[in-house]
Amino acid sequence: MSEPVISIDDLSVSFPTDDGWVHAVRNVSFDVEPGEVLAVVGESGSGKSVTALATMGLHPSSASITGQIRFHGRDLLSVSEREMRGVRGNGIAMVFQDPMTALNPVFKVGAQIAEMLQIHSDISKAAAWSKAADLLESVGVPEPGKRVNQYPHEFSGGMRQRAMIAMAIANGPDLLIADEPTTALDVTIQAQVLEVMKAAQEATGAAIMLITHDLGVVAGIADRVVVMYGGRVFEEGTAREVFYSSENPYTRGLMSSIPRLDSPKGERLVPIPGTPPSVLSPPPGCAFSPRCVYADDECTESHAELRSVGSGSSHRSRCHKLGQLTEALAGGAS
Amino acid sequence: MFAYAARRILATIPLLLVATLGLFALEASVRDPVAELRVSCPKCDDTAFARLTELYDLDKPVLDLSNPANSRYIAWLGNTLTGDFGTSTSQGELPVSDFVWARAKNTMILAVPAFLVIASIAALLGMYSAVRQYSKSDYAITSLSFLGIAMPTFFFGLLLQVFWGIWFHDWTGWRPFFTSQMHDDSLSNLIKSIVLPITTLTLVVVATESRFIRASMLEVIHSDYIRTARAKGLSERKVILKHALRNAMIPVVTIWALDFAALLGGSVVTETIFSWPGLGPLLLSSIFAADVNMVMAIVLFVAVLAIGFNLLADLLYGVLDPRIRIH
Repeated sequence: MSEPVISIDDLSVSFPTDDGWVHAVRNVSFDVEPGEVLAVVGESGSGKSVTALATMGLHPSSASITGQIRFHGRDLLSVSEREMRGVRGNGIAMVFQDPMTALNPVFKVGAQIAEMLQIHSDISKAAAWSKAADLLESVGVPEPGKRVNQYPHEFSGGMRQRAMIAMAIANGPDLLIADEPTTALDVTIQAQVLEVMKAAQEATGAAIMLITHDLGVVAGIADRVVVMYGGRVFEEGTAREVFYSSENPYTRGLMSSIPRLDSPKGERLVPIPGTPPSVLSPPPGCAFSPRCVYADDECTESHAELRSVGSGSSHRSRCHKLGQLTEALAGGAS
Repeated sequence: MFAYAARRILATIPLLLVATLGLFALEASVRDPVAELRVSCPKCDDTAFARLTELYDLDKPVLDLSNPANSRYIAWLGNTLTGDFGTSTSQGELPVSDFVWARAKNTMILAVPAFLVIASIAALLGMYSAVRQYSKSDYAITSLSFLGIAMPTFFFGLLLQVFWGIWFHDWTGWRPFFTSQMHDDSLSNLIKSIVLPITTLTLVVVATESRFIRASMLEVIHSDYIRTARAKGLSERKVILKHALRNAMIPVVTIWALDFAALLGGSVVTETIFSWPGLGPLLLSSIFAADVNMVMAIVLFVAVLAIGFNLLADLLYGVLDPRIRIH
């Protein structure tokens, strides 16, 4: 396998708050391989967005951050702010959650895309604008020549997200980080935007780190999945492994809480009981133990390690009961 | 844009009518010149009272809707529209318009430089404390702002006069600024006489404006598109000066326009303290002298300024913010 585009190694991020330190990300490690779509899945507060922002170096300056984020072998956490600016928007680009607010309302869409090009290369303004129109066309924005001269408020939500994607891929990044790119959009538009991202990825060869809480999105596009909970990686594997052979109670809980078209009529959704752990005072043992029906003393007292599921595969899972729940899960979850 | 401006100007006409009518009625109800003449001039007889009544149509109602021609307000309005603001009763029966214009020019000598100083200092302080939120300098600027807001204008003005006119003079034997009146015999004297009144005007207005600009800037800095700008790889300087500033300035434009209009309308307190021959002291003395024509002319001038600058702010909005389309 070729060298990963980005390699997150033992990353921990904490923020000081009035009530004490919040450990948003704890010892997270995972790689993104060239050209793959890696989905990072989790609920609010799981640390997935903070991981993404740390990768861009856009975490709040008050944050305490340890570990390494290696981009082509270079640790982004130890480079200067100036060097980091050269990476942002160039080697790593980001698409944000809410396209309604992510574009600057006072500048034309063309100017905002052209700016992205001009920051990172010596390109004339006219050339940047004409490339901006090409980029809009490549993400399926009709009449790009006219659209570049429009302001964000003249774009619909789906079109704005396309414009954001056009901006993100402008400099042919090696990694595209998409933080909940479809969450703020209508369901009918979500699928289109995912297709645009997939097409953009195929055209540019960029790897995608897709931050989402929506397993439907993951199933549609992801090659590999990282499940995060309480700031830790709970499960990691190919999409197939995580969807079909997960023995992690949290992952299974997530999956049985989403509606399916093919589930028998009248069957109720099974929500995960309780709420995600407090970021200020997380439970002492496994973060999921207070909500887990299989938890016992071992779970509430000590952390489980991330262990391989089966041998020789990349599928890893964090659960004390790994291998012991096969029957229970097969019977319990449909 | 032209049609919009024209429509806005037309829409201000009823506003001006209601405002002037209200003020006229108020003035007319508070003061009865005949009764005052009776008190101040024991020798005056009925011929004098009759002449006064005739001169100012005091026997007619302020507004008679059944017979508009019989109304004092309608008569005043008609004269005003032809450019005749009437004569002053307190300044030797001279035309009011000459007086107001001469005083307005003196007020402008203070207001224009004061506004430029205020706008630039407020913008710098507001932006700086927003960008360095919760830093020591932010706390220092915030504390000084509250001091400025809490400081009464008359007190700060007097303090400046005492300091530069007496204490500093006792200490060094030198008076760098004039502490009173307008000295317009030379440019250097004029500058020496505007420094202290402008400083007084600046303190209070800068204090409130810098708070407002800080709040506006903070809101913008924490918005998603600023994060997008950073994610593009822009330097922090460009993020602030290009992407944040223009958005943050949109609401500030209104404040600037209204503050400038207020300054041009004359500051009663500051101009009175520094014996500045501007509109403020004239308005004050005209009210005390029951000089209705003068008061009406000054108030009309201030009202037109306020409305005009409001309109200007709205037009600038359309220029700064493409979401506001002006048709």
